[in-house]
Amino acid sequence: MKKSSVIGIIIIAIAIAMIVVIYADSSTYSTFSEAKEKQSELYVVGVLNKEKDLHYNPVEDANHFSFYMYDNDSTECRVIFRGAKPQDIERSEQIVLTGKMMGDEFHASKILMKCPSKYNDGEVEVIEASTAKTMGFVGPSASNR
Amino acid sequence: MDITYVGESLLPGKIGQFFVILSFGSALLSCVAYYFAAKQREDRSWLRIARISFWTNVVSVVAIGSCLFYIIYNHLFEYHYAWAHSSMSLPTHYIISSFWEGQEGSFWLWMFWQAVLGTVLLFKAKSWESPVMAVVMLCQAVLGSMLIGIAIFGERVGSSPFILLREAMDFPILSDPNYLGMIVDGRGLNALLQNYWMVIHPPTLFLGFAAMIVPFAYAVAGLWQRRFKEWITPGLPWALFAVMTLGAGIIMGSFWAYEALNFGGFWAWDPVENASIIPWFTLIAAVHVMVAYKNSGHSYFTATFLVMVSFVLVIYASFLTRSGVLGETSVHSFTDLGLYWQLVAFNLIFLGIMVYLLVRRKKEMPSTQKEEDIYSREFWLFIGALVLAVACVQIIASTSIPVFNAVFGTKVAPPIDPIAHYNKWQAGFAVVVGLLSAFTQFMKYKRTDIRKFYAAAIASLVVAAVVTAIVVYVTKVYANFMYILLVFSAAYTIVANGKILGDAIRGKWKLTGSAVAHIGFGLLLIGALVAAATNEVISVNSSNYIAVAGFDQVEKPGDNLFLTEGEPVQMGDYRITYVGDSVAPPNVYYKINYEEVDEETGRVTDSFQLRPFAQNNPDMGGLIGTPDTKHYLTHDVYTLITAAMADTHQQGQGDGEQTGFEDYEEPAVYETNIGDTLRYRNGFIVVEGINRNATVQNIPREADDVIVGLKLKVHAASGDTYDAEPVFLIRGGTTFDLFKDVKEQGLRFRFSNIMPQKDKLELMVYQKPVPEKRWVVFKAIKFPYINFFWCGAIVMTIGFFLSILRRNKEVKSKHV
Repeated sequence: MKKSSVIGIIIIAIAIAMIVVIYADSSTYSTFSEAKEKQSELYVVGVLNKEKDLHYNPVEDANHFSFYMYDNDSTECRVIFRGAKPQDIERSEQIVLTGKMMGDEFHASKILMKCPSKYNDGEVEVIEASTAKTMGFVGPSASNR
Repeated sequence: MDITYVGESLLPGKIGQFFVILSFGSALLSCVAYYFAAKQREDRSWLRIARISFWTNVVSVVAIGSCLFYIIYNHLFEYHYAWAHSSMSLPTHYIISSFWEGQEGSFWLWMFWQAVLGTVLLFKAKSWESPVMAVVMLCQAVLGSMLIGIAIFGERVGSSPFILLREAMDFPILSDPNYLGMIVDGRGLNALLQNYWMVIHPPTLFLGFAAMIVPFAYAVAGLWQRRFKEWITPGLPWALFAVMTLGAGIIMGSFWAYEALNFGGFWAWDPVENASIIPWFTLIAAVHVMVAYKNSGHSYFTATFLVMVSFVLVIYASFLTRSGVLGETSVHSFTDLGLYWQLVAFNLIFLGIMVYLLVRRKKEMPSTQKEEDIYSREFWLFIGALVLAVACVQIIASTSIPVFNAVFGTKVAPPIDPIAHYNKWQAGFAVVVGLLSAFTQFMKYKRTDIRKFYAAAIASLVVAAVVTAIVVYVTKVYANFMYILLVFSAAYTIVANGKILGDAIRGKWKLTGSAVAHIGFGLLLIGALVAAATNEVISVNSSNYIAVAGFDQVEKPGDNLFLTEGEPVQMGDYRITYVGDSVAPPNVYYKINYEEVDEETGRVTDSFQLRPFAQNNPDMGGLIGTPDTKHYLTHDVYTLITAAMADTHQQGQGDGEQTGFEDYEEPAVYETNIGDTLRYRNGFIVVEGINRNATVQNIPREADDVIVGLKLKVHAASGDTYDAEPVFLIRGGTTFDLFKDVKEQGLRFRFSNIMPQKDKLELMVYQKPVPEKRWVVFKAIKFPYINFFWCGAIVMTIGFFLSILRRNKEVKSKHV
């Protein structure tokens, strides 16, 4: 057999193995009820329940943070995260959790938050017009523009 | 109806916008003119037009940068770019970083480097100038179109950095003619980018990206003009230059991530990181095959293909990071600015050129009928390039999952643990590449003396095995077979190339660059492996760990440690104490003392203070922690604040003092007489007497006023004494009282009533609650032998530089 064909076969074999592994490693975005069925580690997408208490008391345990989240089917579930509370979680619009279901609680190993983006949020910091900068420009010359 | 806005400075934006259009137009004209100059060599007028428009383009690009800098430097917040990326308090040197926080600025940076490289080519490329510059200017025109920001046939093309805030945003206040008076400050620069590495990392990275067009352009020129064999020689030093700068840029980014980001590491296989490393891999593969072709005449197609695909992958990388397609899979990519389809077009144009030329010229390409010999260097260089290419395919495939989702409408999520997923593959490829870059060095082109080869290869192998044993033992990575294999292949690379370097010093100087670069690669591999495999979280919280049934399988015990001010905690080898914090708005620095104590003698053998800081910027998403790291020769101690008390941050925001009573506990009301002693939490208070002539600031005494002061002396337990005189006031039948504070003791006094019938004076004592002890929650990680990684990166860069010198000499010798 020619060397080039040997190399070709090896490369095709590696490529097939790669596709299989990438497929096996890839995951799906699912819901709490699916997480309960599958009992494996996966992603859950949802929103924070801002009405209920976010529990984090570092004095007691610096590695315990819990909150309630609604998934995309509006199922609510208590989420436990063994780590410090992410500082801006209250502001989040969407949360992506990585973890698995343990009984009735979802144990997250990673929390990814989507916060109002710098580019498309509608907030401008408005401060009362009192700075001297504008006062200097108010005058007949400005109105000519 | 036109609104006349007050205080806007519109001139710099208008000038800037003019040059944006001019840069696009001149680049397009230059591209076209160079194209015809390359086709009709006898007619010099095309070349003259091309050069004039090229210089116009250079001037416009510099002018765009100057206008943008002027706008940011002078805090002209009427411009969206200045408002979104800078603030009044931003130090001058970070104004440079805010320049490329936005997409427009980084596109400009790319254009700027391309203009600089174009200038070099104009003087150095000689007969290659026209075809090469035609390609470069085509790319310059496409980049220029990204900044135009005006609507053509109803579609907005590009995103201009000179757009006004009131045009970019749609808020009611922005239609107020005085809106500028209400916008006193910009959003500010993301705290993570306020790092000195962010001043230097993006320019280096973009120089690398921009430089990749040059070998691509040479390849295009070579195929187009049928100068098949010639382009390799001038293209090679440029390819090496691109590899060197892009590599240095990637490593700087990695160092920045390690120093300033809070994910605790130097490489996370984030899509943005992957996007930059993919073209680097392919171009390294390309360089090797180019060298092989030069020396043996084999693998012409592979060399050309890899050079061309590298630049196409650079464009693909910018599509990934800039189009917003990555969505939630990456924490630090840009969001879509409406350039999605423009970026797709950018990709397709250059992919189209590549495919067209490769297909069209396939038959004419030089090729050899004879197969490579197994014992030849060119054969193994080719294999090495293939391995790198396959490694790239894996990274591309996994990183592109969101792209596949967008194309096929699927909803596949990326791997749960990306680091493990990529490492699994890349570790294997790294072992193969390491071994190849060791023994291939002992091969000769065309035909090797087999006996000599085995003698040298096996001798180095034995030395490498010994080195491996030592390294594995010292760094304690013997638990994992893959780790040992990786260390071995890296050690083999270092030993084999060390031998070549020895020969090089003794006279075969040509091989110096390659030997040094490969040694650097080996060191980098060992450093990355050891630091990544054996880094340990040393802030493990053992005392507070409450085991939840079944939990240990999912999560390690907590990585965060709770520290109260002034209370030392033993953590591994260190006794750590949180000694307080200092506020330098907008940052709060937390001082943490580390002391290493000798267990037997109790003496402190080593001590240092780390000051990780955090910035609370609600506009950027709350508290952002920045780690602090103590660097030792053999390891680093990395510390990051993960939670802290909120009130320190209010100080950081510079809030004014409070005058209300809400900070105090319920008051104690006493009916007292002169000479009485009252207790409080921290000492006692003596009622000393009455001041009938008390005066009140700002209130002139009127004839029928009654103003009485109550003289108090506070004796604190510490021995300090303080005087206070609250005042009781009757005016026109109404009673008032004015409180007095003793801030040092957290006390507030009100002389609230005079009761003549009881002969008593009513005194209200307010006390502040006992202040809560300050605390922080933090995480500490020890990274052993990470200096190998940085050191290897530097050595590798030096190696590339030496290779550039050598290959550049070959270009010159050909010209003579």
